[in-house]
Amino acid sequence: MGKLLVSPSPHIHTKVSTATLMRDVVIALLPATIVSIVFYGLGELLVVGVSVASCVLLEYLITKYLLKASNTVCDWSAAVTGLLLALNLPSTTPWWVVFIGAVVAIGVAKLTFGGLGQNVFNPAIAGRVFLLVSFPTYMTHWEAPKGLFGADAVTGATPLGAIKEGLLQGATVPDIMSANGYSYGQMLFANLGGSAGEISAIALLAGFVYLLVRRVIKPHITLSIWGTVALVSLIFWLASPARFTDPAFNLLTGGMILGSCFMATDYVTSPMSIKGGIVFGIGIGFITMMIRYFGSYPEGMSFAILIMNAVVPLLNMWFHQKKYGRK
Amino acid sequence: MAKITFAIGGIHPSDSKISKNCAIEVLPLPQTVYISMAQHLGAPAKPVVAVGDKVKVGQVIAEPGGFISAFVHSSVSGTVKSIAPRKDLAGNCVVPHIEIAVEGDEWMEGIDTTDTLVTAIPEDKAEILAKIKANGVVGLGGATFPAHVKLAPAKPADYLILNGAECEPYLTSDYRIMLERTKEIVIGAAIMQKALGGCKCVIGIEENKPEAIKAMSAAVAELGYKDMEVLSLMKKYPQGGEKQLINAVTGREVPSGKLPADAGCVVQNVATSLAVYEAVQKNKPLITNTLTITGDCLPVEKQHNYLFRIGVPLSFIAEYAGGVPEAAAKIISGGPMMGKAIANLDATTVKGSSSLLYLGEEATKRQTASACIRCGKCAEACPMGLEPFLLKRLATAGDTDGLEANAVQDCIECGCCLYSCPANIPLLDIIRPAKAQVMGIMRARAAAAKAAAEAAKAAAEAKNNENK
Repeated sequence: MGKLLVSPSPHIHTKVSTATLMRDVVIALLPATIVSIVFYGLGELLVVGVSVASCVLLEYLITKYLLKASNTVCDWSAAVTGLLLALNLPSTTPWWVVFIGAVVAIGVAKLTFGGLGQNVFNPAIAGRVFLLVSFPTYMTHWEAPKGLFGADAVTGATPLGAIKEGLLQGATVPDIMSANGYSYGQMLFANLGGSAGEISAIALLAGFVYLLVRRVIKPHITLSIWGTVALVSLIFWLASPARFTDPAFNLLTGGMILGSCFMATDYVTSPMSIKGGIVFGIGIGFITMMIRYFGSYPEGMSFAILIMNAVVPLLNMWFHQKKYGRK
Repeated sequence: MAKITFAIGGIHPSDSKISKNCAIEVLPLPQTVYISMAQHLGAPAKPVVAVGDKVKVGQVIAEPGGFISAFVHSSVSGTVKSIAPRKDLAGNCVVPHIEIAVEGDEWMEGIDTTDTLVTAIPEDKAEILAKIKANGVVGLGGATFPAHVKLAPAKPADYLILNGAECEPYLTSDYRIMLERTKEIVIGAAIMQKALGGCKCVIGIEENKPEAIKAMSAAVAELGYKDMEVLSLMKKYPQGGEKQLINAVTGREVPSGKLPADAGCVVQNVATSLAVYEAVQKNKPLITNTLTITGDCLPVEKQHNYLFRIGVPLSFIAEYAGGVPEAAAKIISGGPMMGKAIANLDATTVKGSSSLLYLGEEATKRQTASACIRCGKCAEACPMGLEPFLLKRLATAGDTDGLEANAVQDCIECGCCLYSCPANIPLLDIIRPAKAQVMGIMRARAAAAKAAAEAAKAAAEAKNNENK
């Protein structure tokens, strides 16, 4: 009989670890990544490659040489941030802009706050928003999908951008929609300008379902965002269909699916309790719609998530789950 | 139909009931037994024999040391060799044990050792309780609370819940007795039902034991007891936890800081029911119990369910079963979720011993903890609805007020939080001592409040007397 281990109970442990959870997120993002590369071509491949590589490398270098802390690359969280950041950028983004985004995401938003688990703001969104306000030229010039081997790139505005611009010029929503030839089928399957990751709602939803089935995340935050967006836009749209976009349009464009399924559900920057998560989702949905309808930016999902990220500590203090044997 | 289970939290570890088809074998007598004086919750028992005394099987060798305490009987016949502290499971030399050298197997008179089923239940409640007390029956589900105390609750019970959940992975002793001693268990339940004044009795068994559900249902039908039913429960840990089982069966919750009796429930394990049957119907004290030898690193042919005499050293059982497997990294007395890891086999079996579990290194070794990713899986798993991540943070900060406000004292130490943490943070290891500290503070405060109230009363009386 060799030496025996002695420890307090329990003596067995789940096979699920931080690394397996994060790896599941990467797997869930693969359909959307593949579709975006197929539609946008090699430019998108470069954006994804630079983003993931720089996030992982930065995490490794900063934890090792600057923080002199234990290496956390193996937990896959930097890879998740890199992939999410890439999917949040236009496929035409120059590599050095992508790299700056990675520096802000990993270096500023994540590691300055203490690394995985301590960051207040979602690193990928912080990186994207930094780029959006610093490099508006690159960030608002979207390339229409041309395919992996397509030749001529056509650049244009995103659907939400086109509508905002059209409304400023005095056109009505249905006019702009038909002038640009937008259809819901297009939005659902592919082929509409925007961040590379938003190219196909179906691909993103497939990843979301995978995360639900693997019990990586619960659906309450996502559903609460969708419900709020649908309700708020329904009210405005019914009041004035000429001025305001309809619920289906708002649910399918402007990073709504990517943000609500993968960014707002980030463990670290979302509330711990179900009730808190629902309030968090309502906040994101409401702020997004207010920005879209009345703000100067056409989208708003990123800002809404960042604003609600800041409220999470309060939501954690206010909302707790039901305790056994207590009111 | 939705599956019946408790409402809050819970986890689904693999049930690993490898030894479930091993029929109960009778373990032979060792040369020496060591019978602990602290085999039950409450005050240790006081020895009533002296070194050199001859004892018989079933003879009282120690009497209760307080209201919550129990009789202890000799499980063998022979000579008392010593009464001295001996290492318990934790390896601490604290508890006195009575050492008895085994000579033959001579039983006390009046104990019915035959297999004949006695179905006629005594009518008198007091007589039942007296027999249960005299025969040293304690709860065998884990807490070893003296059964006669639990069966005389302050307010009448609506439910007697028989716990056949056996929700701990690996353990199969309850399963085997439900298959092999079915009718005795059911009669035991009816006896307890009578002692409680005729409440409803529900026997809760998890769905991963369909044969047990079938056998127990058939026995209840055959014996024709009214107000008794078998309930199939979803497989979920910790279903066999008292508070969780009450919630699963009745939908009620035991209020924080209160007893099951406050929710109108009394929960007893199926093994306790068998002990009650033997005590009341056969006059046999609690001197035997069933124990599973199992583990992931033990081949199935070396796994056993043994009927053992209480006080048999663990080393004797391990050797009889073929020795400790090479691959064993941890030996556990009890289940993998709440059992105690033991450093060596010097300790002895007690009334509540239910298993000797060998786990290999891969299954049981703690991994290095990494940063909390705030996934909330610990809170999702906690069957008491607590927030282990928060309790851990408060415990590390030494914030006892915060711990109390967040109900650390409600923790049942089931291990769900530590089991489910993907970052391998030893949540329960940190919360357990914090809970003990907070409960100490609460007790001290209650004692101080009581003393202050008494002093105020005395002062008021003194003043009254002066005024007269």
